[in-house]
Amino acid sequence: MINWRLVVGITLVSAFFIVAIFGPLFAPYEKDFVEPSGYYYNNPDDFGMYASPYPPSKAHIFGTDEWGYDILTLLLYGAKYTIFIGVITAVLRMIIGGFLGMITGLQKKKRRTDNVFGLLGSIPAFIIVYFTMTGIIVNSPLSTGTLIMIQTTVMVLVGIPGVYAAVYSKTTALKQHLYITASSALGAGSIRIAIKHLLPHLQGTFMVMLLKEIILVLSLMGQLGIFNIFIGGTILRLGGPPVYVSITRDWAGLIGQWRSFIFDYQWILFYPLLAFVLLIFAFYMLLRGIELNQKGAFHKYPHI
Amino acid sequence: MRIALSCIGMILGIFLLAAIPLTINISTGSLVWQLDGAWQAMTNYVIGIVNGDSFLFQEGTNRFQDFLKVVPRHFLLSLGYIVLSGLTAVILGMLVSTWYSRSKQEWVKDIIGFLGMIPDFILVLFLQIAVVSVYQSTGWKVARVASKGVHDHAILLPLITLAIIPTIYLIRTLSERAYDVMGEDYILTAKAKGLTKWYIYIQHVVRNVLPFLKADLHKVASIMISNLFIVEYLYNVNGLTKLLFASTGYQFNLTVNALLAFIGLYIVMYAVLRLFIGCLERIFAYD
Repeated sequence: MINWRLVVGITLVSAFFIVAIFGPLFAPYEKDFVEPSGYYYNNPDDFGMYASPYPPSKAHIFGTDEWGYDILTLLLYGAKYTIFIGVITAVLRMIIGGFLGMITGLQKKKRRTDNVFGLLGSIPAFIIVYFTMTGIIVNSPLSTGTLIMIQTTVMVLVGIPGVYAAVYSKTTALKQHLYITASSALGAGSIRIAIKHLLPHLQGTFMVMLLKEIILVLSLMGQLGIFNIFIGGTILRLGGPPVYVSITRDWAGLIGQWRSFIFDYQWILFYPLLAFVLLIFAFYMLLRGIELNQKGAFHKYPHI
Repeated sequence: MRIALSCIGMILGIFLLAAIPLTINISTGSLVWQLDGAWQAMTNYVIGIVNGDSFLFQEGTNRFQDFLKVVPRHFLLSLGYIVLSGLTAVILGMLVSTWYSRSKQEWVKDIIGFLGMIPDFILVLFLQIAVVSVYQSTGWKVARVASKGVHDHAILLPLITLAIIPTIYLIRTLSERAYDVMGEDYILTAKAKGLTKWYIYIQHVVRNVLPFLKADLHKVASIMISNLFIVEYLYNVNGLTKLLFASTGYQFNLTVNALLAFIGLYIVMYAVLRLFIGCLERIFAYD
């Protein structure tokens, strides 16, 4: 039987990558196009005015936001930030945490790492990132690129302990196998064992972990967006009720800046939310497909 | 000894965390590290504990409140939400996981797994939109979308959101454990003796899954605390999160105090859940 989850996952994820790379080409409007407000007058009984936000229509498939920006266009322009930063952060977490975990796991002496990391792990990741970014992100004089670099670095650092602990425990379990003992008896160092013996064995696990990390990073970005920490910088407009705007228009930021549109004009919030959920769904399907592909070999079966 | 060390570590961690915004600053367009401001704030806090200055925080432009007087109300509200949803999560998790571990349908696992992957804020926003659109199309008010004031609490939606994520986490982990337990030899022995299925579940499966639940409790508690921030913020609940995020400007003392209160919340909730599992142990694993 064909693993349809894998097919769906691969299709969706590659579609999202295409959107991320070529998104601006598909966009129906320019990035800073604003649908103008105006009035119409046909006859004395039929007149009035129209103003943004415009509901979804043929001209604006997802509608426009409160200032008249086309939501589909903003989503297409912002996709690259959300998707690439999510993937790159997760990959960096996996590389650094995985490497450290394998090397320390292979070392002879036992370490008590769970204590320190357990404590740090109980502070939610987004609180740590929030406190790091809160002073410098709003109306920041730093460039968008610099801010993204800082944010990515912090998000990587926050995630490393989790990856490290998981890989460490997997490595210590695998270390019991005879082929590791044989290899180290032949004089192989821990780096060689890690690359030649552990990596091939852990490949599938790493892939699953990477996808899980991507989803975790995406939801971390979303949580930060809720607290007005947007990827690439937040613009705060005062004078009237404070308005927070995402510079890069990344999806988490769009959700964050529009999160109060639950009572009226719900399309403004609904479509970015839908896009975000679909993104997570794509990675999740891929994850399930890979999981099911490699399931089975070592499992016990229940007696009742 | 170890507990004391972790407590000291945690308090130090909170101090450092709260000091980060004072340390990282921007002046003339570039990042600068300013350690003396943070150091000053920390020493002021320690000195201020004696005369009570550390517990004053600014509200609005010129009103000062005593943190110790304000905090019990917020704390109890947060505690109520989190304990209720925590107990729900543990009960539902135990009940569903035994059934779930036997289910062969992969699509059930797909759905439950996906629900577990959806971030909390998306769940909150979707629930809010759903409630509003149900109201707009039928005129039927299902639940409050957000708390409106001190006496008008949103109850149903925050509890659902808070309970759903740990429940799914528990279902996933406990069902794996239950699956493993059911493959053990003592289950086969019990089956060979002709014991009924229910008897085996209650006497052997549940009691062997309980230790795993106990071991997972810290993880459940930390998941719930991190959800609590988002849930309270988005539902406008007047809990501890209000103290942490709704201040005017950045106040070091207030942040430290609020984070310490969160630790207190964590400990109390953990104790309550632990007590509950202790009761379950009296029922299922009493010898």
